[in-house]
Amino acid sequence: MKPTTFQIAGGCLLGLWAMAAVNAPMHAQEPQPPAAVVAPQDAQAAPTSIVDGVYTPDQAKRGEQLYGQFCASCHGPALTGGEMAPALTGGDFATDWIGLTLNDLFERMRVSMPQDQPGALSRQQNADVLAFMLSAGKYPAGKTELPKEAEVLKTIKFEAPKSSGL
Amino acid sequence: MSRRAFRSLPVLLAVAAGVTWATVSMTGQTTGQPSTAKGDWPAYNADLRGTRYSPLDQITADNFSKMEVAWRFKTDNLGSRPEFKLEGTPLVVNGTMYATGGTRRSVFALKADTGELLWVHAELEGERGKYAPRQLSGRGVSYWTDGKGDDRIVYVTTGYKLIELNAKTGGVIPGFGKDGVIDLKVGMITGSGQPIDLIKGEAGLHATPTVAGNIILVGSSFKEGMTIATHNNTKGEVRAFDAHTGKLLWTFHTIPHPGEFGNDTWENDSWKENGNTGVWTQMSVDEEAGLAYLPVEDPASDFYGGHRPGNNLFGDSLVCVDLKTGQRKWHYQIVHHPIWDYDLSSAPLLADVMIDGKLRKIVALPTKETFLYVFDRITGQPIWPIEERPVPQSDVPGEKTSKTQPFPTKPPAYSRQSVTENDLIDWTPELHEKALEQFRMYKNGPMFNPGVVSQAGGPIAAMTIGTAGGGTNWPGGSFDPVTNIAYLYACNSCLTPIGLIEPPAGFETDVRYVAGQAGAAFRIAEAAGAGSYADAPTVNNRGRGAAPAGRGAAAGDRANAPAAGGNRGGTTVQGLSILKPPYSTISAINLSKGEIVWQVPHGDTPDAIRNNPALKGMNIPKTGQSGYNIGTLVTKTLVIAGDGQVTTTPEHPRGAMLRAYDKATGKQVGEVLMPAPQSGSPMTYKVNGKQYIIVAVSGGNYSGEYIAFSVPSEALTTNQRQR
Repeated sequence: MKPTTFQIAGGCLLGLWAMAAVNAPMHAQEPQPPAAVVAPQDAQAAPTSIVDGVYTPDQAKRGEQLYGQFCASCHGPALTGGEMAPALTGGDFATDWIGLTLNDLFERMRVSMPQDQPGALSRQQNADVLAFMLSAGKYPAGKTELPKEAEVLKTIKFEAPKSSGL
Repeated sequence: MSRRAFRSLPVLLAVAAGVTWATVSMTGQTTGQPSTAKGDWPAYNADLRGTRYSPLDQITADNFSKMEVAWRFKTDNLGSRPEFKLEGTPLVVNGTMYATGGTRRSVFALKADTGELLWVHAELEGERGKYAPRQLSGRGVSYWTDGKGDDRIVYVTTGYKLIELNAKTGGVIPGFGKDGVIDLKVGMITGSGQPIDLIKGEAGLHATPTVAGNIILVGSSFKEGMTIATHNNTKGEVRAFDAHTGKLLWTFHTIPHPGEFGNDTWENDSWKENGNTGVWTQMSVDEEAGLAYLPVEDPASDFYGGHRPGNNLFGDSLVCVDLKTGQRKWHYQIVHHPIWDYDLSSAPLLADVMIDGKLRKIVALPTKETFLYVFDRITGQPIWPIEERPVPQSDVPGEKTSKTQPFPTKPPAYSRQSVTENDLIDWTPELHEKALEQFRMYKNGPMFNPGVVSQAGGPIAAMTIGTAGGGTNWPGGSFDPVTNIAYLYACNSCLTPIGLIEPPAGFETDVRYVAGQAGAAFRIAEAAGAGSYADAPTVNNRGRGAAPAGRGAAAGDRANAPAAGGNRGGTTVQGLSILKPPYSTISAINLSKGEIVWQVPHGDTPDAIRNNPALKGMNIPKTGQSGYNIGTLVTKTLVIAGDGQVTTTPEHPRGAMLRAYDKATGKQVGEVLMPAPQSGSPMTYKVNGKQYIIVAVSGGNYSGEYIAFSVPSEALTTNQRQR
């Protein structure tokens, strides 16, 4: 194919490139969740951390299926990574996400995974895979499924699991 | 549809851009050759000698921590999806910065003082890009000038084309190759001379071309070599092109053909049926002597050499060739019959050093195995004796290991080269016991521990360190050409268990043994970013609601076996490395004496260790951070490198630190916070009287970004402003 050169001058198209030049975090354009899901069933028990039991075992099982299909070939069946992909469990993984929310991790999955067809999984499927990752990371399960809505995921902090001594 | 709009932009804008630039080039200095002495950073490694050194000294120990972000450039939109592994080191010449970025590997130019975008060049390679063995944005670009205003940017695309652009406008140079483009796949072969397919044929490159005078050197890179479909892969070649016209000047066969020196090191005519052996990292050039130094990688496959008996020149060899003719002057094979993935990873360091009272022209080669191999760069003679010593022998059927391997007597190794029980974590007896239990599932031994056929009951693999990962990997080293001290980052905890299995059903290959672990599902090793080319399918290209094609559940893992189901080994215990820290170090090595001057851990102690309840109350010294992607920058007084991981500590909010060390002592003298880990090696330059440092960051939730730091004017002393 022919090479293409963009030449930016004067005021032309600066809007287009503003996105590239500005340090914008990647929280763009999540769909608005239905109101019923935004409000947790019991406001006082609303989880604020992934150690609070934020997914169900059934959801993790669904996620395991998807993980095997779309993720394991690079990240490994035990989520331990390889030459081409980082581990999704253990200290080095936790280091990347401690201090952020589950929505940050969800967004990384949504915009860039699976690597050859990012965005291929639905929000529900991504939530299920994330549930499996939490389960594999020995985070406790709970009674409510991990929601797929950004507003809720933003309220759940990523922390090191308490049980494994990390 | 969107692509048509995308590609029509340059037609609309070219004229306006030309006008803008006419103004700039009248005020800029456009004559002569750029250099670090003028405040430029004109090559990936600052110069052709691999120094990564700049004499600038406005940024010092006194003010490093006062640096602020001058500007940032996010690379998300240089491609159809963001990149999370930005590895480039930008160039700056005459106040303009040039770099690559994004999943398209676009080239762009910015004003180096403000970060304002001047132009972008994108090469839309479609299928060819998708098949590329080395994806993502690569390491950057090269610069060529005639010194009289004809200034060009040279780079290699994802799909392996060599392109020259007008540095002022970003337009292709019509007189170079065909319309500014040379198809590097033309001339690449498999077997004894079969040309590779121009679309699907396997060849690519992350490294920048090397521009020396009017000659452009280009190497090649392939897929990860652990689980490959054939050992008769594309042969790595090193080629030289004329910078004016793109004419091919010479080709050096890194796998020698019949009649060429070294062909007989491929016994049974096996040169014919084996590939790889490329040069995938930066090369160095002694322009005065007219010599180029080529660090060559492994032949195929990485861990099994049964299809290529012999020493396999020039696999894992440092080769010195005549820059003008490509004729071999000398070579030194660092690893005979390579089966460890010890690929020569680093640009050779070319220094002029007083040794035992004599001025010597040396080449020093940092490596994954963390020996620094030092030679007279004209003659190829080792400066200090390198001894051939017996090494462990392989018992893998069909494999014939070399009886001996070269061991330098000086300088000493600057990181771990093998693992013993004494290296295992011992913070608590429980941790040590678990680590020991896992460790004993492996065949353990000294350096050059050869791979084993994996047994489910053990050994599941041969434990090695500094092999596939290094040690010092692609970022290479650095040195100060005034003091002749080299500064080398090394991972001190990058373990690679080497287990071999017969190819499982469903994996078609002619290689007798591939990397894998008995009892674990098989997994094909791919390079980082595989499948992520900007033209690879995205959800937008597919029918709404269509299920994406899965890759199947088959997957195995060699590096870390599953924790469940009995003792399956593994290199981590409770999320911690089975090894004691330091996890990584920066070492200063005196090239005149061949001695380590200082060595410090690099990087904050990871959160997972600092906040570990099991380790509460223990006084754990700074551990450094595991990883092999860290490169260094050397200035008049400082060694500068960023952390490869983010941390949150009492001293700083969540982020990764860019650090400055006193060159003389290794003591940290400054730090500034970056929002994400260093993923590309830092560089420095000066424009309009101000010194800047640019570093590429990315990883985790943070997509690729170049960040420029400088010291605010009010924080500079009068003296510093004048420097």
